[in-house]
Amino acid sequence: MASLSEEVLLVVKKVRQRKQDGTLYLMAERIAWGPEGKDRFTVSHPYSDIRCQKISPDGKAKVQLQLVLHTGESTTFHFANESTALKDREAAKELLQQLLPKFKKKANKELEEKNRMLQEDPVLFQLYKDLVVSQVISAEEFWANRLGGLNNSEPAPYSNKQEVGISGAFLADIRPQTDGCNGLRYNLTTDIIESIFRTYPAVKQKYSENVPHSLTEKEFWTRFFQSHYFHRDRINTGTQDIFSECAKQDEKGLMSLVNKGVKNPLVDLLSLEDKTLDEGYGLKQALPSTSNTNKTVKESSNAAIIKRFNHHSAMVLAAGSRKNCFCHHPFTDSSLFSSEVPADQASETSSTDGNSRDSDFFQPPVKKVKLQEAIEYEDLQRESKQKTVALNLKKSDRYAHGPVPLQSQKYTTSQDIINAVNCIQQEMAHYKPNLTQVREQNSNTFLPSTEMVPSDIQGELKHLYVAAGELLRHFWSCFPVNTSFLEDKVIKMKSNLERFQMTKLSPFKEKLQRQYLGTNLTGHLEEMLQTAYGKFHIWQTRRMMRKT
Amino acid sequence: MKLNIEGLLVYFPYDYIYPEQYSYMLELKRTLDAKGHGVLEMPSGTGKTISLLSLIVAYQKAFPLDVTKLIYCSRTVPEIEKVVEELRKLMEFYAKETGEVNNFLALALSSRKNLCIHPEVSSLRFGKEVDGKCHSLTASYIRAQRHSNPDQPVCRFYEEFDAVGRQVPLPAGIYNLDDLKDFGRRKGWCPYYLARYSILHANIVVYSYHYLLDPKIADLVSKELAKKSVVVFDEAHNIDNVCIDSMSVNITRRTLDRCQGNVETLQHTIQKIKDTDAAKLREEYRRLVEGLKEANIARETDVYLANPVLPDEILQEAVPGSIRTAEHFLGFLRRFLEYLKSRLRVHHVVQESAPQFLKDIFEKVCIDRKPLRFCAERLQSLLRTLEIADIADFSAVTLIANFATLVSTYSLGFTIIIEPFDDRTPTIANPVLHFSCMDPSIAIKPVFQRFQSVVITSGTLSPLDIYPKILDFRPVTMASFTMTLARTCLCPLIVGRGNDQVALSSKFETREDFAVIRNYGNLLLEMSAIVPDGIVAFFTSYVYMENIVASWYEQGILENIQRNKLIFIETQDAAETSMALEKYQEACENGRGAILLSVARGKVSEGIDFVHHFGRAVIMFGVPYVYTQSRILKARLEYLRDQFQIRENDFLTFDAMRHAAQCVGRAIRGKTDYGLMIFADKRYARADKRGKLPRWIQEHISDGSLNLTVDETVQLSKHFLRQMAQPFRQEDQLGLSLLTLEQLQSEDMLKKIAQIAHQA
Repeated sequence: MASLSEEVLLVVKKVRQRKQDGTLYLMAERIAWGPEGKDRFTVSHPYSDIRCQKISPDGKAKVQLQLVLHTGESTTFHFANESTALKDREAAKELLQQLLPKFKKKANKELEEKNRMLQEDPVLFQLYKDLVVSQVISAEEFWANRLGGLNNSEPAPYSNKQEVGISGAFLADIRPQTDGCNGLRYNLTTDIIESIFRTYPAVKQKYSENVPHSLTEKEFWTRFFQSHYFHRDRINTGTQDIFSECAKQDEKGLMSLVNKGVKNPLVDLLSLEDKTLDEGYGLKQALPSTSNTNKTVKESSNAAIIKRFNHHSAMVLAAGSRKNCFCHHPFTDSSLFSSEVPADQASETSSTDGNSRDSDFFQPPVKKVKLQEAIEYEDLQRESKQKTVALNLKKSDRYAHGPVPLQSQKYTTSQDIINAVNCIQQEMAHYKPNLTQVREQNSNTFLPSTEMVPSDIQGELKHLYVAAGELLRHFWSCFPVNTSFLEDKVIKMKSNLERFQMTKLSPFKEKLQRQYLGTNLTGHLEEMLQTAYGKFHIWQTRRMMRKT
Repeated sequence: MKLNIEGLLVYFPYDYIYPEQYSYMLELKRTLDAKGHGVLEMPSGTGKTISLLSLIVAYQKAFPLDVTKLIYCSRTVPEIEKVVEELRKLMEFYAKETGEVNNFLALALSSRKNLCIHPEVSSLRFGKEVDGKCHSLTASYIRAQRHSNPDQPVCRFYEEFDAVGRQVPLPAGIYNLDDLKDFGRRKGWCPYYLARYSILHANIVVYSYHYLLDPKIADLVSKELAKKSVVVFDEAHNIDNVCIDSMSVNITRRTLDRCQGNVETLQHTIQKIKDTDAAKLREEYRRLVEGLKEANIARETDVYLANPVLPDEILQEAVPGSIRTAEHFLGFLRRFLEYLKSRLRVHHVVQESAPQFLKDIFEKVCIDRKPLRFCAERLQSLLRTLEIADIADFSAVTLIANFATLVSTYSLGFTIIIEPFDDRTPTIANPVLHFSCMDPSIAIKPVFQRFQSVVITSGTLSPLDIYPKILDFRPVTMASFTMTLARTCLCPLIVGRGNDQVALSSKFETREDFAVIRNYGNLLLEMSAIVPDGIVAFFTSYVYMENIVASWYEQGILENIQRNKLIFIETQDAAETSMALEKYQEACENGRGAILLSVARGKVSEGIDFVHHFGRAVIMFGVPYVYTQSRILKARLEYLRDQFQIRENDFLTFDAMRHAAQCVGRAIRGKTDYGLMIFADKRYARADKRGKLPRWIQEHISDGSLNLTVDETVQLSKHFLRQMAQPFRQEDQLGLSLLTLEQLQSEDMLKKIAQIAHQA
């Protein structure tokens, strides 16, 4: 029964399942097992259904692989080929390990997306309750054209997802464990590696330079953890250490950050003091800045820690806030750094040294704003009313009537008309009514005397409208009916509509009658349903005629 | 609103007023009425500046003859600019209410670095370079040389200003630093000299302390300011240190070497001039014979601010004959220099008083006291005569000359300490001669004497009575104001123990104790988990912070903290720290939250505010005592004990507590702000320490929060933070800590307000 299109990635023979010998197939989208001698699978799980895989410990006699599904069920495969059992199992495991995360993400993403949509949109949630929970239509149908675009291409409003920042302590999360024989074991996950790369682009660069040509991945990380770069209190920079260059680059980056100065003049400690004392005056001695030599090793290692903490925090912050700009950070910064030097000599390179000049020009506004902020006492002022922008109309009649066509145009050729029709058809294909947006208007137009109707009834009516609208949308989207699938659907939708009228609309109508409210409240709804029925009837009679 | 402060109409540019602002203005008015000096402490964030400005401006308008000028001194450039902006707001309000055009001239003055618009000069990085370069373009003889040599570069902005700038006074208005620059650019005038010239007729001048307190600068800038001025020192809690700094001198081997070079250069120049233009030197000689008569007349007629480096007595005398000719003076300087060199060749620490030093110098090299006293003045005259272009090059010889004058003028209030090496590095010879001022009143005395009213104010001046003592003046008003609060928005907690009952303290004996360091780390870790946004932690010294950070790193505490917040640390490099600060603010701003580890007495603790979410908690690790082993400090303590009867411990505690208060006060910058103030040292619980905190902090320390464990602190903090996170609207404050005009006028309220001011 395996469909032709499926690609088989791995076949393992002599695998037992429920004490039956058989063959295990790992395919592009699912894992399947068939008993020996039969050409159909008795076990078949799409990868997206699998939560995790478990393997039996190495010492055990039976070499097994267990798949745990999201539903909680599990399936166990026993690799029975004596000589290659372990190898078979490893191969299957490896492959699964690569495949599962892909599908997991997809499944989770879909669920998450649905969940999110329901949470964000109360109307949709109500609709879901009305239609799906009360089993008017199935969940798949409900989501079918709502999530339509989701899997293929992200819909526009959600495409700019919020960036996830980096935990400040990602390096701390790599807890070394002693393996019992004088060694340390670090556990790295892809997340941590990504964090390291995002925060320290220099390491990423090293990685791409060295792995896998000169170092294996494992060796690379081993060296990383051994380097002074990871241990912030070590200051000796061995020349062989491939990370000493990273450290230098970081140093440079930090330097350029420092040299760039700060934008906010209120935190600029350099220009805080108005008049420093001349050299030689004052109580405090000048710091022995030049005599680095007499610093003890401990002192300079302490200073290194402090420096690196500052740098680390700055990098984490930068990586989180503007990931894209910072990917190529060391290059931009070094170029910035070098352009700083000729800034005071040449005036012809005004575009590059614009850095310093520009900042000078832009400073006053920032400064003004910050100063104003600093002197503001919000509670001493009368609360200012919300500032609104006054609408300034230059031509008020244009505003009232909307744009009018300058001249009416007549279609001259039939080609034009065909084009126009095509155009409209295209537009209509993408047309998506946003029911939640129009519902206000509906209830307003059809309920001229809202004060006559109690609010709970109004609410209920609103829900009915939304539900009916949704069903009708499904119904009408079936036309023109040109495939058998649509035929099935339109018939199902018709029955759905009828069911809706029976289970929802009629009780509501009765309720209205009981409360002596005008039954015309539901008139419009019924009208819409009747139109649909009419359409369906016409379609059916036509079909009958065609068949006969 | 318009207020009636004991009969004075005060325009206040807000719709509401804090009760303490009203009370503050009352006290201030009484000070001005009495034409005396005042000490006023009011919590930061209660609108001290605007109260001051409103009242004094109103006073100036009402009694233009009694108070002609307001001289407002602040500490940092941003502070200065803030004051001017507040003033602008006030003046706009005046214009709106009265409909009159503002006729006040108010301006900020700052160093050349902040005002220069010369494209080349202003691009220099350091203030000193800017000053030097400016001087080389604008000195009078440089400009005179231009007449004969048109290629001589001069500053066109200065030339333009000199040609026309003085004829028309600066039009009335409010000029911040940037406004001055704009104005200068438009007119093509030098904003710096324009500002310096304009302060003479301005109604309000805002500048830094140094322009009044540092005799070297005050003599240039503030000498001719009107006597009927009101001087305000804002953020004045450190004013004594500023005074002392401006009068102290350190001389190292390097200074002497450079001085030697200077003397050689002078020698050459004199020789050259002698060959070409001997008349110049003769002219100078004549002037010196006549003495400093001009200066004397000016001072007697009360036109000038006295210069403490130039004491009264020497003005009445002519320069002594032994140093009148240029060569003689140079010889004299050489001898003095050699003597100093010999003094620096010591192997043990020497401490002596000024008279002892004078006696020694007389015995060894036969230098009398009298010529020494004229040294500074004589050198100035020589430099002028020789037309030295770059004064900055001669800073070393100027320093030595100033030292000579000071040491021979003041027999009291100074001490000389010669240390052959730094205490931390006893093997490296690095002799230093400290000539340190111990009496801040020397530098500030001319200010008190000259100006009618001097107001010293800050958020933290407690205990109030110590300032009049150490600055040696008699104030007519001394008051401390509390902060009226509708909700207790500050929460001072004293953490005395760790969870394991280990006493927490930064005292010397337990400084290296791992248990204490670990508990400090625990406290920070726990707080980082519960406090939103920013936390600022202060350590007692830089070395202490380095050690703690290192051991926190080893113990893995910092890593755990990083899980909650990013960590930024103050370094000794100002540029690096600025960057860290900005990143810290960015991290607070984008919601990640951050911790700033900083140092009490450091630049951050003095100049940076942590408003709102930038500082939800301040943790003070330990009591920030000054390094007590320093000999200079010991000498100063001794002096304070002998002269002012201030006990050593009292002063040390006072000094530590004012810095602690400064640190924790950084977090609260207004009534809508809130913050935790955590004092992590059990010594804070003692009455002598606690009693020296400002009243507005003290009154919120409950008896229950005197010796908390870390866990208890966390519990209390959580509670506090949750309460504070509730919405806080203006209505909640109205009538309690915020008043409308009607509420202010009610009897009850006036009675209540009378209690706010706490007379010391």
